[in-house]
Amino acid sequence: MREPTLRPSPSSPPSTTPTKSVEPAKPADWTPIEPTPVVLPLAPSTPTPAAPESRDQDPAEALRRIRPAANEKAVWNRRAGRPDARPDARTPYDTVVPYDESLAERLITTQAPQRPLSTPTFRMEIDGNVVNGTEGQTILEVCRANGINVPTLCYEPKLPGFGACRMCVVEVEGEEYPPISCSRAAEAGMVVRTQTEQLRRLRRTNLELIFSDHNAYCLPPCQNKCPSHIDIPGFLKANAEGKFRESARIFKRTIPFPSILGRVCPAPCEDHCRRDEVDEAIAIRDSHRYAGDQVLEAQKSGIEPPLPFETEPKSGRRVAVIGSGPAGMAAAYYLLIAGHDVTVFERNEAPGGMLRYGIPEYRLPKADVLEPEYEAVWKLGGKLECGKELGKDFSLDDLRDQGFDATVVATGCYDTNKLRVPNEEADGVIDGLEYLKIATLGLPYPGHKGSRVVVVGGGFTAMDCWRTSIRQGAKQVTLVYRRDMKDMPASSEVHEAREEGGTAIFQAGPTRVIVDAKNKVTGIEFIRMQPGAPDASGRRRPEPAPGTEFVIECDRVLLAIGQGPDLTWIGPGNEGVASVKNRLSADAVTFETGRPGVFGAGDVRIGAATVVQAIAEGRRCAYAVDAFLKGRDLAELRTRETLTEWEAGFLSIAPYTDEPKEARHRLKSLPAKERSKTYIEYEIPYTAAEVMAESTRCLQCTCEALGNCDLRTLGIEYGTTLQTLEPAHDQGAGFRSVTENRFTGANHDYIRDDCHAFILREPSRCIDCGRCAAVCADVVGAACYDFMRTGFDTLVTTPLDMSLNDTPCVSCGRCAETCPTGALMLKPRVLEKYDVDESRCILCGICVDACPYDALRGGQDNELAHTGRADPEIDLIGLAAVDRETEVTYIRRERDWLVHALAEGRIESPLEALPELPQSLVGGPGKRPGSGRR
Amino acid sequence: MTASKILATPARFPRVLLPPTLPADPINLDAAVAAGAFNALRAAVEELRADGVIAALAESGMRGRGRGGLPLGEKWRACARAAGDRRYVVINAYQSDPAVVTDRLLLEKNPYAVIEGAAIAAFAVGAGEVIVALRAEATNTIRVVQAAIDAAEAGGYIGENILGSGLEIRFSVRPLQGNYMLGEETVLLKGLEGKRGQPEQQPPYTTTRGLFGAPTLIHGPQTLAAVPAILAGGMAGFLETDPRAFAGTILVQISGAVARPGVAEVPFGVTLREILDVAGGVPNPHRLKGLLVGGPSGGILPADGLSVTFDHDSLDAAGAQVGSGSIVVLDQHSCVVDLAAVLTRFCADEACGKTIPCRIGLRRLAEIGARICEGQPRGDEIGRLTDLSLDISASALCDHERRATLSLLSVVRYFRDELDAHLLRNTCPAGVCQPKAETRAGAVS
Repeated sequence: MREPTLRPSPSSPPSTTPTKSVEPAKPADWTPIEPTPVVLPLAPSTPTPAAPESRDQDPAEALRRIRPAANEKAVWNRRAGRPDARPDARTPYDTVVPYDESLAERLITTQAPQRPLSTPTFRMEIDGNVVNGTEGQTILEVCRANGINVPTLCYEPKLPGFGACRMCVVEVEGEEYPPISCSRAAEAGMVVRTQTEQLRRLRRTNLELIFSDHNAYCLPPCQNKCPSHIDIPGFLKANAEGKFRESARIFKRTIPFPSILGRVCPAPCEDHCRRDEVDEAIAIRDSHRYAGDQVLEAQKSGIEPPLPFETEPKSGRRVAVIGSGPAGMAAAYYLLIAGHDVTVFERNEAPGGMLRYGIPEYRLPKADVLEPEYEAVWKLGGKLECGKELGKDFSLDDLRDQGFDATVVATGCYDTNKLRVPNEEADGVIDGLEYLKIATLGLPYPGHKGSRVVVVGGGFTAMDCWRTSIRQGAKQVTLVYRRDMKDMPASSEVHEAREEGGTAIFQAGPTRVIVDAKNKVTGIEFIRMQPGAPDASGRRRPEPAPGTEFVIECDRVLLAIGQGPDLTWIGPGNEGVASVKNRLSADAVTFETGRPGVFGAGDVRIGAATVVQAIAEGRRCAYAVDAFLKGRDLAELRTRETLTEWEAGFLSIAPYTDEPKEARHRLKSLPAKERSKTYIEYEIPYTAAEVMAESTRCLQCTCEALGNCDLRTLGIEYGTTLQTLEPAHDQGAGFRSVTENRFTGANHDYIRDDCHAFILREPSRCIDCGRCAAVCADVVGAACYDFMRTGFDTLVTTPLDMSLNDTPCVSCGRCAETCPTGALMLKPRVLEKYDVDESRCILCGICVDACPYDALRGGQDNELAHTGRADPEIDLIGLAAVDRETEVTYIRRERDWLVHALAEGRIESPLEALPELPQSLVGGPGKRPGSGRR
Repeated sequence: MTASKILATPARFPRVLLPPTLPADPINLDAAVAAGAFNALRAAVEELRADGVIAALAESGMRGRGRGGLPLGEKWRACARAAGDRRYVVINAYQSDPAVVTDRLLLEKNPYAVIEGAAIAAFAVGAGEVIVALRAEATNTIRVVQAAIDAAEAGGYIGENILGSGLEIRFSVRPLQGNYMLGEETVLLKGLEGKRGQPEQQPPYTTTRGLFGAPTLIHGPQTLAAVPAILAGGMAGFLETDPRAFAGTILVQISGAVARPGVAEVPFGVTLREILDVAGGVPNPHRLKGLLVGGPSGGILPADGLSVTFDHDSLDAAGAQVGSGSIVVLDQHSCVVDLAAVLTRFCADEACGKTIPCRIGLRRLAEIGARICEGQPRGDEIGRLTDLSLDISASALCDHERRATLSLLSVVRYFRDELDAHLLRNTCPAGVCQPKAETRAGAVS
C-alpha cells in the first residue's frame, strides 16, 4: 500500500461499517500507524506524519495532516452542507467507497436523462404520421416514444447513441445519405421514413455482413425437434462431467420424468443430432435414462429427487387435474412447483394412465420406474384420488363446488377407432387397448396362449400388442399395417419384434372379418394397398389395389388402428366445454376450453400422440393455468409465444472436420429367445463410464443466448437467415451455415473464455457493437472492455485478451445483460447456489442494484431477500411441430440396424431383414414382389 | 527536412502557400515579418474585427481543402455562432496518407503562414486555443513548428496578448501516434481527447460540438496558410485574372510514371493534363494507363480522363477525390485491378472497426478484389462488388468507408476490359496478377 494507513486500536471492532452515530467518533478509537515513511507522490511537502501525541486529537484532524486529499474532501463536505468531521468520513483504511461515489449512486445518475416537463416540444413526421418530439431527443427516441419500431443492435438506452451497427438508419427528407437515428437529434418539421425498400436493403446487407463473420450457431437441432425443448446439450454436459443429479435436474426443467421418457420416448431429437455429421447421432434418450435411473436409485436410500426450480410459496389456490397420465402428471408437477395445491383424479385403481395401462412392462417397468418417478409429484404435495371418473363419479360442477380454482382435463385417448368392415363385432375381435390393459398388469389374457393372432395397425399400440402377444405365448402373431414400414412411428421396434418371432405384413388393409356360424373369428381378409396421392400432411394416402385380396386365418384380431378421446362426459354438469373433430376443444397456447377455469391438455386435445408430446402439453398447460391463477393476462402469453420464433432458421455450422470419430455407445439387449418369454426390461442399461463417454460425444452446439439474441431476431425479420439457407439463393450456392451468404469470406474463430465464475465470453459471437465496453466504462466504471486491434480484426475484448478475472471486473453482469448476442453470457448453470455472509453485510445495496437477474431484492428494511430465478423464457415457448422422420433418416437407421445385426450375428443374411409373409400366404393369391422372403 | 522536390509551375499559377520568395531560414521571424507575415493578422485584429474577417472570407468564396470542401465563411460563421464558453482551432496536419508530404513541407517551409492563418481563425471565431495535431514521427516538422510558435509568441504575435489587443490565443503542438483514420476529423478529435480513434456521425458538426464538446474549427494547414493571403488581397488579383471554380491553390504530390515527381502548388480547377505537364509528362517508354487521384482511398481515372479538372465537384463526379492531393501516374505495367484490391485491403485494415459496413464490408470488398485478381470469381463478383460498395457508402458513418469504395468502383467504371480479362480470359494485361485457369468447384462464372 502506498498510502499511510490508520488501523483501529485493538479495542474497536474490526468492522468496515461506518457507524451511523451522529456524534463524532471518539479519538481513542483510532491510532495512526507510526512513523510512516511513505511520501505521497502528489504532495511532496507533506508534513511529517502524526506524532504519538496526536492520539488525543480528532481523527479527522490527524487525517488532514497526513493526507491533503482528505482536506479537499472536507471542503467538499462543507460545500455540500455536511458536518466537517463526519463520523463516517472516509478514512484511508476504508475500502468501502463513500455513498456519493458508490456504484448505486452512479447507476441512478446515469439513467436516461429525465427531462423537465417544461421542455419544449415540436412536431415532426415519421412514416407519414405527425408525432410530437421533445427538444433534445434523438430521432430514435422520438420513434420509440411513439411506438415506431426501428431496429438497433448497438444502441444502449442508458447511454448516448454510438452509431456502430448501422441498423437504425432512417431516411430524412432532403438528406443525401440516411443518417443513423440513435445519434441524430430530431428537429421540428423533419420528415422521417423508417421502413423504405432502400433502408431495408441496407439493413439486410449489414446483417449479411455480420453473419458472414459470425462463426456461431443458434438452437441445437435436437432441442428444436424435441416437442418439449429439453436443454439437451445442458444435461449431456452435466452427464459428461458425471453430475447425473444435475443432469436430471436440467431435464426436469422441461420434463419431470427422465427415466420414463428414457424408455418410451421415440427420441425425435436423435434423428436431427449434428453429431451425425461426424459419425453417429448421440444416444440422447439412453443418456437421460441413465441420469434418471441414478435419481431413482438414490431415492431408494431416502435422497429426494432434485427439483428443477425452487418451489414458490403456497398460493392457496387449488387445481384439479383429471387424469394421471403423462400430460396430467406433468401439469400437476409444474403447478405444484408454482405453489398451487393439486389433486389428481384417476378413474383406474392406480395412477399412470397410458403409461401404466398401455405400455407393457418390458418397455416400462411399473414398480421400478413408473411408480418411483411419480413419487416426485406426490413428494411435492400432490394428492391422488383413484377410482374417480369424470362424468361418472364427479362432474366439473362438482369440482367447482368443492372449491377448485382451476381444472385441467387430461383424460387421454382411450376410444379405439373402428375398422368399419363387416363382422367387426365378431367374437375374437378385441380392442387392443383393452387387451393391453390386462396384459400390462402381467395377467394372461384369456385364451391367448397358443392362439393365432393378427394385430391390425402400425402405431405404438399395435407394436405393444404385437410384442406382448408373443410374450403371452400366441402361436402365430402377425402384424398388418396398411402403409409401409418407414411410415411407422415405432419402426425401430419392428426388427426386435421379428427377432422375437413376430411376422409383419405391410401395405395391406382389412376388408372383412371372416366368422364361423357361432360368429367366432376364423380369419380376416386384407387387400393390398398402394401409395396414392399425398394428403394434407404430405403422406401418400394408401389406396386399395383391386383384385389383390388375401385371407389370414386366425383366432383373434387385435385392433390398434388409433384412438380418440372419450368425450361422452360432456353434458349436464359439465357444460361449457365443447368438442371439435372428436377432440376436446382447447386453445393451443392458453389451453382454455370454453368454460372459464377449465383447461384441456394432452391427447384429449391433440389426439393420440407420443408421451413426450403429452408431457410438453401438460407443462405448457401448467404455465397457462399458473398465469390464470395469478390473474395475468393469458392473451399476453399468446403474444409472447407467437412472437418468439423457434423454428431454427440456420442449423448447421461449419463442417466438423477436426472432431475425432467415436462410435455411438449402444445399449445391449437380452437375446431374443430370452426376452420373448419374459416381461422384464430387455435393454441392458449403460454403466456410468459408458454414459459419460456417450455424453462427451455431444458437440454442445447451442447458443446460451437463444431467445435473447437481437441478431437472430433481426436476421429472421430481414430474411438473412432463412433465405440464405435455401439452395436456390444466390445462384444455387446452397448455403448451409450461419456464416455462409453472398459475402462469405475469412471469418474469425476466437477462443471461448469460460474461466470467469459468472460471465461467459464467446468472442466468436461478438458483433463489435461496443455496448459492453460503453456500459462497463460509463455505467459501472470498471472499464474491462474496449475495442482492440483495427480493421477487420477489431474485437471488443479485454485488454490484451486477458481473462476477465485479471480485469477490474466487479461481476455485476451488466455487460452480459446488454450484449445483444451470445458473446457475453451469464453462466446460469454455475449459479446454482451461493452463500451470503449476512453478518458482514453493510446493507449498501450494491448487489441489489447490480444484479441483472433480480436474484437479490431490497425488502422492507432494505434487507436482502433471496428469491429464486424465474423460469427463463425457454419454458414458455410453443410446441414446435415434430417432423415426421424423413426417408433419409429411415434408410440410414435401417442400414445402421443391418450393419449391427450382421456384426452381432443376430441375422445371417440381409434378406432376413425383409418383412416376411406368413406361411398361409406363401404362394397364395396375395403374392406380390417384395412382400416376403422367398 | 522533408526531401521532396518543389516543382516549378507556369507563371499563370499563383504561388500563395509556397511563394518563391520564402526566406532561407523558415524559423527566422524577422525575415518572415519583413516578407509580410502577420500583416493580415494585424489587419484583422485592428481593422476588420471578427465579423469583418468572416465576411471577407465568405466574399472570397474560398473552400476548405479537406474532404468536405465547405465554404470557409460558412464554416467559421457556424463555429462563431455556436453556443459554448470555450472554442478551439485544430490544425489537422496529421496527413494520414503515408506517401504524401505536402502538409509537412508547407509547415517546414512556411510555418508563419499557417500560424498566422490559425491565429486569424481563432480570432474570428473567438477561440483561445490553437492545437497543431502532427504525426509523431515527423520530428523535424514538430521542431520547426514549435520553434516558430515560440518565436511568434516571443514576438507578441500570438500568446497571452496578441498584438497588444489583450486577447489570448495559445498555440500548442500535439504529436499524435495512430493510424490512417486520424485523418478523419472526428477521429482526430478523439485522438486529441485521448480516446480510441473512432468517428462520430455528423451532424452535429465539429463546428458546434467538437473537441471536448466545445465548438471547434478544424482545418488543414493549406487552408489556413491561404487565409492571410486572402485577407491581404493576394488572391483577389488571381481571382480576377483566372476565375476558376474554386478560389485558392493546393499542393499536389505527383508520383509514379512521370518525368519529374514532386510537389507542386496548383490552383483549384486546373485540368489533370496541366498537372501532368508540370511533372514533365509521361516519358517514353511508359504509356499512360491511368491516374490514382486522392491517395489510398481515391479513385483510378483512365488515360482519357485528363480533361477532368482538379476540384472537389468534378473529381467527385468522375469517381475520385481531392483527398490528400496525391496523384499517382500509372503506366502499362500497373494492374489497376490489383492496385484497387490492394488499396481496398489497406483501407480495410486501417479501418477503426467501429461500424459493420466498414469493418466487415471493406474486407469483403478486398476479398472480392483478390478473387478477381486470382481469376477465382464466385458468381457475379462485379455485381456483388457494386451492390456492396453502394450499400457501404449509403450507410457509411464517416468518409473513410465511403471513399474506400472508390478505387474498386472506379475500376468497374473505367477498366471493365481489364476486369473481363481477369475474369473471363484468365489473363492480367499488365502481367501483375496470375489468374488461375481452373475455377473453384461449384463456382458459377
